Amino acid sequence: MTALVLTDQSPLPEGQKASLLGTSRAIREECIDATTLQLTNVGKIFDQLEAIRSISLAVAKGEFVSLLGPSGCGKSTLLLMVAGLITPTSGNVIVGGSDVRTPRADVGVVFQTPILLPWRSVLDNVLLPIEFLNLPRKNFIERAYALLKMVRLEDFAGALPRQLSGGMRQRVSICRALINDPSTLLMDEPFSALDAFTRDEMSVDLLRIWQTYQKTIIFVTHSIREAVFLSDRVFVLGNRPATIIDEMKIGLPRPRALEMMEENDFNQYVRHLRCSIEAGHAY
Amino acid sequence: MRTKKANPFDALYSPVAVTASLLALWEIGVRALHVNSVILPPPSEIMQVLIERRGLLLSHLSSSLFLIVCGLALSVVGGVSVAIAFTFSRKLREGVYPILIISQVVPKVAIAPLFIVWFGTGTLPCLLLGFLIAFFPMTINSVLGFQAVDEEIHRMARAFMGSKRQIFWKVQFPNALPYIFSGMKISLTLVIIGDVVSEFVASQEGIGYLIKLAGGLLDTPLMMAAITALSLSGLTLYWMISQLERRFVYWQVDPDSILGAGG
Repeated sequence: MTALVLTDQSPLPEGQKASLLGTSRAIREECIDATTLQLTNVGKIFDQLEAIRSISLAVAKGEFVSLLGPSGCGKSTLLLMVAGLITPTSGNVIVGGSDVRTPRADVGVVFQTPILLPWRSVLDNVLLPIEFLNLPRKNFIERAYALLKMVRLEDFAGALPRQLSGGMRQRVSICRALINDPSTLLMDEPFSALDAFTRDEMSVDLLRIWQTYQKTIIFVTHSIREAVFLSDRVFVLGNRPATIIDEMKIGLPRPRALEMMEENDFNQYVRHLRCSIEAGHAY
Repeated sequence: MRTKKANPFDALYSPVAVTASLLALWEIGVRALHVNSVILPPPSEIMQVLIERRGLLLSHLSSSLFLIVCGLALSVVGGVSVAIAFTFSRKLREGVYPILIISQVVPKVAIAPLFIVWFGTGTLPCLLLGFLIAFFPMTINSVLGFQAVDEEIHRMARAFMGSKRQIFWKVQFPNALPYIFSGMKISLTLVIIGDVVSEFVASQEGIGYLIKLAGGLLDTPLMMAAITALSLSGLTLYWMISQLERRFVYWQVDPDSILGAGG
Protein backbone atom coordinates (compact mmCIF):
# COMPACT_ATOMS: atom_id res chain seq x y z
CA MET A 1 0.00 0.00 0.00
CA THR A 2 1.47 3.27 -0.99
CA ALA A 3 0.53 6.77 -0.17
CA LEU A 4 1.69 9.65 -2.25
CA VAL A 5 0.95 13.09 -1.02
CA LEU A 6 2.27 15.80 -3.27
CA THR A 7 1.21 19.34 -3.02
CA ASP A 8 2.53 22.26 -4.96
CA GLN A 9 3.05 24.29 -1.87
CA SER A 10 5.38 21.91 -0.10
CA PRO A 11 8.05 24.02 1.57
CA LEU A 12 10.94 22.45 -0.33
CA PRO A 13 13.43 24.19 -2.62
CA GLU A 14 12.55 23.86 -6.30
CA GLY A 15 15.22 21.33 -7.22
CA GLN A 16 14.51 19.02 -4.36
CA LYS A 17 10.78 19.10 -5.03
CA ALA A 18 11.33 18.15 -8.65
CA SER A 19 13.45 15.18 -7.71
CA LEU A 20 10.92 14.07 -5.12
CA LEU A 21 8.17 14.22 -7.68
CA GLY A 22 10.34 12.14 -9.98
CA THR A 23 10.90 9.50 -7.35
CA SER A 24 7.29 9.23 -6.45
CA ARG A 25 6.34 8.80 -10.07
CA ALA A 26 8.67 5.82 -10.21
CA ILE A 27 7.10 4.34 -7.11
CA ARG A 28 3.68 4.95 -8.50
CA GLU A 29 4.41 3.00 -11.65
CA GLU A 30 5.73 0.13 -9.61
CA CYS A 31 2.54 -0.37 -7.69
CA ILE A 32 0.07 0.41 -10.44
CA ASP A 33 -1.60 -2.95 -9.88
CA ALA A 34 -2.41 -2.23 -6.30
CA THR A 35 -3.64 1.30 -6.88
CA THR A 36 -7.30 1.39 -7.76
CA LEU A 37 -7.99 5.04 -7.24
CA GLN A 38 -5.76 7.98 -7.84
CA LEU A 39 -6.14 11.74 -7.54
CA THR A 40 -3.53 13.95 -9.19
CA ASN A 41 -3.36 17.66 -8.36
CA VAL A 42 -7.12 17.83 -8.03
CA GLY A 43 -8.46 21.31 -7.47
CA LYS A 44 -11.91 22.89 -7.44
CA ILE A 45 -12.89 26.52 -7.68
CA PHE A 46 -16.51 27.57 -7.17
CA ASP A 47 -17.15 31.09 -8.51
CA GLN A 48 -13.65 32.32 -7.68
CA LEU A 49 -13.77 30.64 -4.30
CA GLU A 50 -11.07 28.04 -4.10
CA ALA A 51 -12.53 25.03 -2.26
CA ILE A 52 -9.85 22.46 -2.95
CA ARG A 53 -6.22 23.00 -3.93
CA SER A 54 -4.01 20.49 -5.59
CA ILE A 55 -4.83 17.28 -3.78
CA SER A 56 -2.99 14.15 -4.83
CA LEU A 57 -3.45 10.79 -3.26
CA ALA A 58 -3.57 7.14 -4.20
CA VAL A 59 -5.67 4.40 -2.67
CA ALA A 60 -4.82 0.73 -2.92
CA LYS A 61 -7.33 -1.95 -3.79
CA GLY A 62 -9.17 -3.11 -0.69
CA GLU A 63 -7.86 -0.26 1.42
CA PHE A 64 -9.99 1.65 3.92
CA VAL A 65 -9.05 5.31 3.73
CA SER A 66 -10.58 8.19 5.67
CA LEU A 67 -10.59 11.84 4.77
CA LEU A 68 -10.66 13.69 8.06
CA GLY A 69 -11.30 17.38 8.44
CA PRO A 70 -13.48 20.01 10.05
CA SER A 71 -17.00 20.60 8.71
CA GLY A 72 -17.10 22.66 5.57
CA CYS A 73 -13.47 22.07 4.66
CA GLY A 74 -14.31 20.64 1.25
CA LYS A 75 -13.87 16.96 1.96
CA SER A 76 -17.38 16.15 0.76
CA THR A 77 -16.71 18.08 -2.44
CA LEU A 78 -13.59 15.98 -2.93
CA LEU A 79 -15.62 12.80 -2.49
CA LEU A 80 -18.30 13.95 -4.94
CA MET A 81 -15.54 14.58 -7.49
CA VAL A 82 -14.37 10.98 -7.04
CA ALA A 83 -18.00 9.93 -7.53
CA GLY A 84 -18.13 11.88 -10.80
CA LEU A 85 -20.93 14.11 -9.53
CA ILE A 86 -18.75 17.26 -9.53
CA THR A 87 -16.14 18.00 -12.17
CA PRO A 88 -12.76 19.12 -10.88
CA THR A 89 -11.47 22.50 -12.08
CA SER A 90 -7.96 21.12 -12.38
CA GLY A 91 -6.18 17.80 -12.08
CA ASN A 92 -7.74 14.42 -12.66
CA VAL A 93 -9.36 11.53 -10.86
CA ILE A 94 -8.61 8.02 -12.02
CA VAL A 95 -10.59 5.01 -10.85
CA GLY A 96 -9.72 1.53 -12.07
CA GLY A 97 -7.44 2.90 -14.76
CA SER A 98 -9.78 5.38 -16.43
CA ASP A 99 -10.60 9.02 -15.96
CA VAL A 100 -13.73 9.80 -13.94
CA ARG A 101 -16.02 12.24 -15.72
CA THR A 102 -19.48 10.96 -14.85
CA PRO A 103 -20.82 8.55 -12.22
CA ARG A 104 -19.84 4.96 -12.87
CA ALA A 105 -21.23 1.57 -12.02
CA ASP A 106 -18.14 0.29 -10.18
CA VAL A 107 -18.38 3.05 -7.57
CA GLY A 108 -21.14 3.02 -4.96
CA VAL A 109 -22.01 6.09 -2.91
CA VAL A 110 -23.43 6.41 0.59
CA PHE A 111 -24.53 9.94 1.37
CA GLN A 112 -24.78 11.83 4.63
CA THR A 113 -28.51 11.11 4.78
CA PRO A 114 -29.99 7.82 3.51
CA ILE A 115 -32.01 9.46 0.68
CA LEU A 116 -34.36 6.52 0.24
CA LEU A 117 -37.42 6.82 -1.98
CA PRO A 118 -40.39 6.90 0.44
CA TRP A 119 -42.76 4.98 -1.86
CA ARG A 120 -40.37 2.07 -2.33
CA SER A 121 -40.04 -0.79 0.11
CA VAL A 122 -36.64 -1.50 1.62
CA LEU A 123 -36.02 -4.24 -0.96
CA ASP A 124 -37.05 -2.00 -3.87
CA ASN A 125 -34.83 0.80 -2.60
CA VAL A 126 -31.88 -1.58 -2.48
CA LEU A 127 -32.64 -2.73 -6.03
CA LEU A 128 -32.94 0.82 -7.44
CA PRO A 129 -29.39 0.91 -8.91
CA ILE A 130 -30.10 -2.41 -10.66
CA GLU A 131 -33.12 -0.86 -12.36
CA PHE A 132 -31.08 2.21 -13.32
CA LEU A 133 -28.40 -0.04 -14.81
CA ASN A 134 -31.07 -1.98 -16.77
CA LEU A 135 -29.95 -5.25 -15.23
CA PRO A 136 -32.44 -8.09 -14.64
CA ARG A 137 -33.93 -7.49 -11.21
CA LYS A 138 -34.58 -11.12 -10.41
CA ASN A 139 -30.87 -11.94 -10.60
CA PHE A 140 -30.15 -9.56 -7.74
CA ILE A 141 -32.97 -10.27 -5.32
CA GLU A 142 -31.01 -12.99 -3.58
CA ARG A 143 -28.01 -10.68 -3.22
CA ALA A 144 -30.27 -7.93 -1.87
CA TYR A 145 -31.51 -10.30 0.84
CA ALA A 146 -27.94 -11.36 1.63
CA LEU A 147 -26.91 -7.72 2.03
CA LEU A 148 -29.94 -6.93 4.18
CA LYS A 149 -29.14 -9.94 6.32
CA MET A 150 -25.60 -8.64 6.73
CA VAL A 151 -27.00 -5.48 8.33
CA ARG A 152 -29.72 -7.41 10.22
CA LEU A 153 -32.59 -5.99 8.18
CA GLU A 154 -33.76 -9.14 6.40
CA ASP A 155 -37.07 -8.99 8.25
CA PHE A 156 -37.70 -5.47 6.99
CA ALA A 157 -37.42 -6.10 3.25
CA GLY A 158 -41.08 -5.25 2.71
CA ALA A 159 -41.19 -2.26 5.06
CA LEU A 160 -41.41 1.34 3.91
CA PRO A 161 -38.56 3.72 4.84
CA ARG A 162 -40.79 5.75 7.18
CA GLN A 163 -41.21 2.63 9.32
CA LEU A 164 -37.46 2.43 9.99
CA SER A 165 -35.18 4.31 12.37
CA GLY A 166 -32.43 6.61 11.09
CA GLY A 167 -29.73 4.00 11.60
CA MET A 168 -31.76 1.31 9.82
CA ARG A 169 -32.35 3.62 6.86
CA GLN A 170 -28.66 4.36 6.56
CA ARG A 171 -27.95 0.61 6.60
CA VAL A 172 -30.44 0.22 3.74
CA SER A 173 -28.55 2.89 1.81
CA ILE A 174 -25.30 0.97 2.36
CA CYS A 175 -26.96 -2.14 0.91
CA ARG A 176 -28.15 -0.05 -2.04
CA ALA A 177 -24.60 1.15 -2.69
CA LEU A 178 -23.34 -2.46 -2.67
CA ILE A 179 -26.10 -4.16 -4.67
CA ASN A 180 -24.34 -4.19 -8.03
CA ASP A 181 -21.03 -5.18 -6.41
CA PRO A 182 -18.97 -2.05 -7.10
CA SER A 183 -15.24 -2.22 -6.39
CA THR A 184 -15.23 1.05 -4.47
CA LEU A 185 -17.51 2.53 -1.87
CA LEU A 186 -17.54 6.28 -1.25
CA MET A 187 -19.06 7.33 2.05
CA ASP A 188 -19.81 10.96 2.85
CA GLU A 189 -20.10 11.34 6.63
CA PRO A 190 -22.64 8.51 6.60
CA PHE A 191 -23.04 8.24 10.38
CA SER A 192 -22.94 11.92 11.30
CA ALA A 193 -26.71 12.21 11.66
CA LEU A 194 -26.92 9.25 14.04
CA ASP A 195 -26.65 9.08 17.82
CA ALA A 196 -23.41 7.90 19.45
CA PHE A 197 -24.56 4.34 20.21
CA THR A 198 -25.92 3.75 16.72
CA ARG A 199 -22.74 5.23 15.28
CA ASP A 200 -20.48 2.76 17.08
CA GLU A 201 -22.72 -0.11 16.07
CA MET A 202 -22.71 1.05 12.46
CA SER A 203 -18.90 1.31 12.47
CA VAL A 204 -18.63 -2.32 13.51
CA ASP A 205 -21.20 -3.30 10.86
CA LEU A 206 -19.29 -1.40 8.23
CA LEU A 207 -15.99 -3.12 9.05
CA ARG A 208 -17.72 -6.48 8.83
CA ILE A 209 -19.15 -5.58 5.42
CA TRP A 210 -15.77 -4.28 4.28
CA GLN A 211 -14.04 -7.49 5.30
CA THR A 212 -16.71 -9.74 3.82
CA TYR A 213 -17.02 -8.02 0.46
CA GLN A 214 -13.41 -6.75 0.11
CA LYS A 215 -14.26 -3.24 -1.02
CA THR A 216 -12.06 -0.21 -1.33
CA ILE A 217 -13.63 2.41 0.90
CA ILE A 218 -13.11 6.15 1.04
CA PHE A 219 -14.80 7.44 4.13
CA VAL A 220 -15.30 11.14 4.82
CA THR A 221 -15.70 12.09 8.46
CA HIS A 222 -15.12 14.84 10.96
CA SER A 223 -14.81 12.39 13.84
CA ILE A 224 -11.19 11.56 14.68
CA ARG A 225 -12.12 8.47 16.68
CA GLU A 226 -14.30 7.14 13.88
CA ALA A 227 -11.46 7.66 11.38
CA VAL A 228 -8.91 5.87 13.58
CA PHE A 229 -11.23 3.02 14.41
CA LEU A 230 -12.17 2.29 10.80
CA SER A 231 -9.20 3.14 8.64
CA ASP A 232 -5.98 1.74 7.28
CA ARG A 233 -4.93 5.26 6.50
CA VAL A 234 -6.21 8.71 7.43
CA PHE A 235 -5.68 11.87 5.42
CA VAL A 236 -6.11 15.09 7.37
CA LEU A 237 -7.55 17.91 5.31
CA GLY A 238 -6.89 21.53 6.15
CA ASN A 239 -9.28 24.37 5.69
CA ARG A 240 -9.92 26.89 2.90
CA PRO A 241 -8.83 25.78 0.46
CA ALA A 242 -8.73 22.11 1.38
CA THR A 243 -5.31 20.52 1.09
CA ILE A 244 -3.84 17.43 2.66
CA ILE A 245 -1.94 18.52 5.75
CA ASP A 246 -1.17 15.13 7.21
CA GLU A 247 -1.37 11.48 6.44
CA MET A 248 -1.26 8.68 8.96
CA LYS A 249 -1.17 4.94 8.67
CA ILE A 250 -3.24 3.27 11.37
CA GLY A 251 -1.42 0.15 12.49
CA LEU A 252 -4.08 -1.20 14.83
CA PRO A 253 -4.71 -4.91 14.36
CA ARG A 254 -7.78 -6.24 12.63
CA PRO A 255 -10.49 -7.27 13.14
CA ARG A 256 -11.16 -4.28 15.34
CA ALA A 257 -13.57 -4.27 18.24
CA LEU A 258 -15.12 -1.31 20.02
CA GLU A 259 -13.07 -2.09 23.17
CA MET A 260 -9.96 -0.96 21.28
CA MET A 261 -11.19 2.61 21.61
CA GLU A 262 -10.13 2.55 25.26
CA GLU A 263 -6.63 1.32 24.55
CA ASN A 264 -3.52 3.45 24.66
CA ASP A 265 -2.43 2.80 21.07
CA PHE A 266 -5.79 3.96 19.80
CA ASN A 267 -5.67 7.14 21.81
CA GLN A 268 -2.16 7.94 20.66
CA TYR A 269 -3.37 7.95 17.07
CA VAL A 270 -6.28 10.14 18.08
CA ARG A 271 -3.96 12.57 19.88
CA HIS A 272 -1.60 12.78 16.96
CA LEU A 273 -4.41 13.47 14.50
CA ARG A 274 -5.90 16.09 16.79
CA CYS A 275 -2.54 17.87 16.87
CA SER A 276 -2.39 17.84 13.07
CA ILE A 277 -5.85 19.31 12.78
CA GLU A 278 -5.07 22.01 15.31
CA ALA A 279 -1.78 22.79 13.58
CA GLY A 280 -3.69 23.03 10.32
CA HIS A 281 -5.97 25.62 11.85
CA ALA A 282 -3.05 27.64 13.14
CA TYR A 283 -1.95 28.90 9.74
CA MET B 1 -46.97 4.99 10.84
CA ARG B 2 -50.63 4.35 11.15
CA THR B 3 -50.73 3.19 14.71
CA LYS B 4 -54.45 2.97 15.25
CA LYS B 5 -56.97 2.41 12.54
CA ALA B 6 -59.24 5.40 13.01
CA ASN B 7 -62.92 4.74 12.37
CA PRO B 8 -63.75 6.98 9.39
CA PHE B 9 -67.16 7.70 10.89
CA ASP B 10 -65.67 9.16 14.08
CA ALA B 11 -64.52 12.20 12.15
CA LEU B 12 -67.96 12.62 10.58
CA TYR B 13 -69.81 12.72 13.89
CA SER B 14 -69.45 16.46 14.68
CA PRO B 15 -70.10 17.82 11.17
CA VAL B 16 -73.19 15.62 10.84
CA ALA B 17 -74.51 16.85 14.20
CA VAL B 18 -73.95 20.50 13.22
CA THR B 19 -75.61 19.99 9.82
CA ALA B 20 -78.60 18.27 11.38
CA SER B 21 -79.06 21.13 13.88
CA LEU B 22 -78.87 23.74 11.14
CA LEU B 23 -81.45 21.85 9.04
CA ALA B 24 -83.73 21.59 12.06
CA LEU B 25 -83.36 25.32 12.71
CA TRP B 26 -84.19 26.03 9.05
CA GLU B 27 -87.26 23.76 9.13
CA ILE B 28 -88.59 25.29 12.35
CA GLY B 29 -87.78 28.87 11.29
CA VAL B 30 -89.48 28.61 7.90
CA ARG B 31 -92.62 27.02 9.40
CA ALA B 32 -92.82 29.40 12.36
CA LEU B 33 -92.44 32.51 10.20
CA HIS B 34 -94.74 31.14 7.44
CA VAL B 35 -92.19 31.79 4.73
CA ASN B 36 -93.56 31.16 1.23
CA SER B 37 -91.89 28.08 -0.24
CA VAL B 38 -91.19 30.06 -3.45
CA ILE B 39 -88.78 32.17 -1.38
CA LEU B 40 -87.37 29.43 0.84
CA PRO B 41 -88.85 25.93 1.04
CA PRO B 42 -88.23 23.94 4.23
CA PRO B 43 -85.78 21.02 4.05
CA SER B 44 -88.60 18.52 4.37
CA GLU B 45 -90.21 19.83 1.18
CA ILE B 46 -86.87 19.65 -0.67
CA MET B 47 -86.53 16.10 0.55
CA GLN B 48 -90.00 15.31 -0.68
CA VAL B 49 -89.19 16.66 -4.16
CA LEU B 50 -85.95 14.66 -4.17
CA ILE B 51 -87.96 11.49 -3.63
CA GLU B 52 -91.06 12.21 -5.71
CA ARG B 53 -89.33 13.64 -8.76
CA ARG B 54 -86.29 11.38 -8.62
CA GLY B 55 -86.82 10.22 -12.22
CA LEU B 56 -86.53 13.76 -13.58
CA LEU B 57 -83.62 14.65 -11.27
CA LEU B 58 -81.72 11.46 -12.03
CA SER B 59 -81.98 11.82 -15.79
CA HIS B 60 -80.59 15.37 -15.66
CA LEU B 61 -78.05 14.46 -12.99
CA SER B 62 -76.74 11.51 -14.96
CA SER B 63 -76.13 13.60 -18.06
CA SER B 64 -74.32 16.22 -15.92
CA LEU B 65 -72.29 13.62 -14.09
CA PHE B 66 -71.26 12.02 -17.35
CA LEU B 67 -69.91 15.36 -18.55
CA ILE B 68 -68.26 16.09 -15.19
CA VAL B 69 -66.46 12.76 -15.08
CA CYS B 70 -65.42 13.01 -18.74
CA GLY B 71 -64.25 16.61 -18.28
CA LEU B 72 -62.27 15.67 -15.21
CA ALA B 73 -60.71 12.64 -16.91
CA LEU B 74 -59.75 14.77 -19.92
CA SER B 75 -58.23 17.45 -17.74
CA VAL B 76 -56.23 14.91 -15.73
CA VAL B 77 -54.89 13.16 -18.81
CA GLY B 78 -54.31 16.46 -20.62
CA GLY B 79 -52.79 18.29 -17.66
CA VAL B 80 -50.42 15.48 -16.70
CA SER B 81 -49.38 14.96 -20.34
CA VAL B 82 -48.64 18.64 -20.87
CA ALA B 83 -46.71 18.71 -17.59
CA ILE B 84 -44.64 15.71 -18.75
CA ALA B 85 -43.94 17.49 -22.04
CA PHE B 86 -42.84 20.59 -20.09
CA THR B 87 -40.52 18.48 -17.96
CA PHE B 88 -38.79 16.92 -20.96
CA SER B 89 -38.72 19.90 -23.32
CA ARG B 90 -37.08 23.04 -22.09
CA LYS B 91 -38.16 24.94 -25.25
CA LEU B 92 -41.78 24.00 -24.75
CA ARG B 93 -41.63 24.94 -21.08
CA GLU B 94 -40.05 28.32 -21.70
CA GLY B 95 -42.29 29.10 -24.67
CA VAL B 96 -45.70 27.86 -23.57
CA TYR B 97 -45.76 27.84 -19.77
CA PRO B 98 -45.79 31.66 -19.36
CA ILE B 99 -48.59 31.96 -21.93
CA LEU B 100 -50.58 29.31 -20.07
CA ILE B 101 -50.22 31.25 -16.83
CA ILE B 102 -51.13 34.60 -18.40
CA SER B 103 -54.16 33.01 -20.11
CA GLN B 104 -55.61 32.41 -16.66
CA VAL B 105 -56.49 36.12 -16.47
CA VAL B 106 -59.47 35.35 -18.73
CA PRO B 107 -62.42 34.22 -16.58
CA LYS B 108 -63.36 31.04 -18.36
CA VAL B 109 -67.07 31.08 -17.62
CA ALA B 110 -67.18 34.31 -19.62
CA ILE B 111 -66.20 32.26 -22.66
CA ALA B 112 -69.29 30.03 -22.38
CA PRO B 113 -71.47 32.12 -24.78
CA LEU B 114 -68.57 32.17 -27.23
CA PHE B 115 -68.52 28.39 -27.15
CA ILE B 116 -72.16 28.33 -28.27
CA VAL B 117 -71.16 30.40 -31.29
CA TRP B 118 -68.32 28.02 -32.08
CA PHE B 119 -69.74 24.64 -31.15
CA GLY B 120 -73.50 25.22 -31.00
CA THR B 121 -75.60 23.97 -28.09
CA GLY B 122 -75.49 20.50 -26.57
CA THR B 123 -72.93 18.44 -24.78
CA LEU B 124 -69.77 19.43 -26.65
CA PRO B 125 -69.49 23.05 -25.38
CA CYS B 126 -70.32 21.86 -21.84
CA LEU B 127 -67.62 19.23 -21.94
CA LEU B 128 -65.09 21.67 -23.38
CA LEU B 129 -65.78 24.38 -20.83
CA GLY B 130 -65.45 21.96 -17.93
CA PHE B 131 -62.20 20.67 -19.37
CA LEU B 132 -60.85 24.16 -20.03
CA ILE B 133 -61.44 25.29 -16.45
CA ALA B 134 -60.04 22.15 -14.85
CA PHE B 135 -57.06 21.66 -17.15
CA PHE B 136 -54.98 24.51 -15.73
CA PRO B 137 -54.76 23.46 -12.05
CA MET B 138 -54.01 19.92 -13.19
CA THR B 139 -51.10 21.12 -15.30
CA ILE B 140 -49.72 23.45 -12.63
CA ASN B 141 -49.95 20.84 -9.89
CA SER B 142 -48.31 18.17 -12.03
CA VAL B 143 -45.48 20.51 -13.05
CA LEU B 144 -44.93 21.42 -9.40
CA GLY B 145 -44.96 17.76 -8.42
CA PHE B 146 -42.42 16.80 -11.08
CA GLN B 147 -40.15 19.67 -10.00
CA ALA B 148 -40.51 19.16 -6.26
CA VAL B 149 -37.76 16.55 -6.05
CA ASP B 150 -34.94 17.49 -3.70
CA GLU B 151 -31.59 18.21 -5.29
CA GLU B 152 -30.05 15.51 -3.10
CA ILE B 153 -32.45 12.90 -4.49
CA HIS B 154 -31.46 13.91 -8.01
CA ARG B 155 -27.83 13.59 -7.00
CA MET B 156 -28.41 10.14 -5.54
CA ALA B 157 -30.17 9.03 -8.72
CA ARG B 158 -27.34 10.37 -10.88
CA ALA B 159 -24.75 8.67 -8.65
CA PHE B 160 -26.49 5.36 -9.35
CA MET B 161 -26.45 6.03 -13.09
CA GLY B 162 -30.13 6.90 -13.55
CA SER B 163 -30.85 8.34 -17.00
CA LYS B 164 -33.08 11.39 -17.37
CA ARG B 165 -35.97 9.18 -18.46
CA GLN B 166 -35.44 6.68 -15.64
CA ILE B 167 -35.22 9.46 -13.08
CA PHE B 168 -38.50 10.85 -14.37
CA TRP B 169 -40.48 7.61 -14.20
CA LYS B 170 -38.91 6.16 -11.06
CA VAL B 171 -38.45 9.35 -9.04
CA GLN B 172 -40.25 12.43 -10.35
CA PHE B 173 -43.51 10.74 -11.36
CA PRO B 174 -44.20 8.94 -8.06
CA ASN B 175 -43.10 12.08 -6.25
CA ALA B 176 -45.77 14.05 -8.17
CA LEU B 177 -48.66 11.69 -7.30
CA PRO B 178 -49.73 13.58 -4.15
CA TYR B 179 -49.66 16.81 -6.18
CA ILE B 180 -51.68 15.23 -8.98
CA PHE B 181 -54.34 14.06 -6.53
CA SER B 182 -54.68 17.46 -4.90
CA GLY B 183 -54.91 18.90 -8.43
CA MET B 184 -57.74 16.46 -9.13
CA LYS B 185 -59.64 17.66 -6.09
CA ILE B 186 -59.33 21.29 -7.17
CA SER B 187 -60.23 20.36 -10.74
CA LEU B 188 -63.31 18.45 -9.64
CA THR B 189 -64.92 21.53 -8.08
CA LEU B 190 -63.96 23.62 -11.11
CA VAL B 191 -65.28 21.13 -13.65
CA ILE B 192 -68.62 21.11 -11.82
CA ILE B 193 -68.79 24.91 -12.02
CA GLY B 194 -67.87 24.85 -15.72
CA ASP B 195 -70.43 22.19 -16.46
CA VAL B 196 -73.34 23.88 -14.64
CA VAL B 197 -72.60 27.31 -16.10
CA SER B 198 -72.42 25.92 -19.62
CA GLU B 199 -75.68 24.03 -19.09
CA PHE B 200 -77.31 27.31 -18.07
CA VAL B 201 -76.55 28.76 -21.47
CA ALA B 202 -75.88 25.97 -23.91
CA SER B 203 -77.84 22.86 -23.10
CA GLN B 204 -81.28 21.28 -23.10
CA GLU B 205 -80.36 18.78 -20.41
CA GLY B 206 -78.33 18.48 -17.26
CA ILE B 207 -78.65 19.81 -13.74
CA GLY B 208 -77.69 23.35 -14.83
CA TYR B 209 -80.51 23.32 -17.37
CA LEU B 210 -82.96 21.93 -14.79
CA ILE B 211 -82.04 24.65 -12.28
CA LYS B 212 -82.57 27.35 -14.90
CA LEU B 213 -85.86 25.78 -16.00
CA ALA B 214 -87.19 25.43 -12.45
CA GLY B 215 -86.12 29.01 -11.76
CA GLY B 216 -88.18 30.21 -14.72
CA LEU B 217 -91.20 28.35 -13.33
CA LEU B 218 -90.59 29.73 -9.82
CA ASP B 219 -90.37 26.09 -8.68
CA THR B 220 -87.90 26.83 -5.86
CA PRO B 221 -88.24 23.39 -4.19
CA LEU B 222 -87.18 21.72 -7.47
CA MET B 223 -84.24 24.15 -7.82
CA MET B 224 -83.12 23.37 -4.29
CA ALA B 225 -83.56 19.65 -4.88
CA ALA B 226 -81.43 19.87 -8.03
CA ILE B 227 -78.72 21.81 -6.17
CA THR B 228 -78.81 19.26 -3.35
CA ALA B 229 -78.53 16.34 -5.74
CA LEU B 230 -75.58 17.96 -7.52
CA SER B 231 -73.82 18.78 -4.25
CA LEU B 232 -74.20 15.24 -2.94
CA SER B 233 -72.84 13.87 -6.22
CA GLY B 234 -69.87 16.25 -6.03
CA LEU B 235 -69.19 15.12 -2.49
CA THR B 236 -69.30 11.49 -3.57
CA LEU B 237 -66.85 12.14 -6.41
CA TYR B 238 -64.52 13.95 -4.01
CA TRP B 239 -64.68 11.00 -1.65
CA MET B 240 -63.87 8.62 -4.50
CA ILE B 241 -60.79 10.67 -5.40
CA SER B 242 -59.71 10.60 -1.75
CA GLN B 243 -60.04 6.82 -1.72
CA LEU B 244 -57.92 6.55 -4.88
CA GLU B 245 -55.38 8.87 -3.28
CA ARG B 246 -55.13 6.67 -0.20
CA ARG B 247 -54.59 3.69 -2.43
CA PHE B 248 -51.90 5.25 -4.64
CA VAL B 249 -50.18 7.59 -2.19
CA TYR B 250 -49.84 4.87 0.42
CA TRP B 251 -46.51 6.15 1.74
CA GLN B 252 -47.94 9.41 3.02
CA VAL B 253 -50.08 10.04 6.02
CA ASP B 254 -53.61 10.79 4.84
CA PRO B 255 -53.56 14.51 4.02
CA ASP B 256 -57.36 14.75 4.29
CA SER B 257 -57.58 13.24 7.73
CA ILE B 258 -59.74 15.59 9.75
CA LEU B 259 -58.20 14.28 12.94
CA GLY B 260 -54.74 14.90 11.55
CA ALA B 261 -53.36 12.14 13.73
CA GLY B 262 -52.39 9.36 11.37
CA GLY B 263 -49.00 9.28 12.71
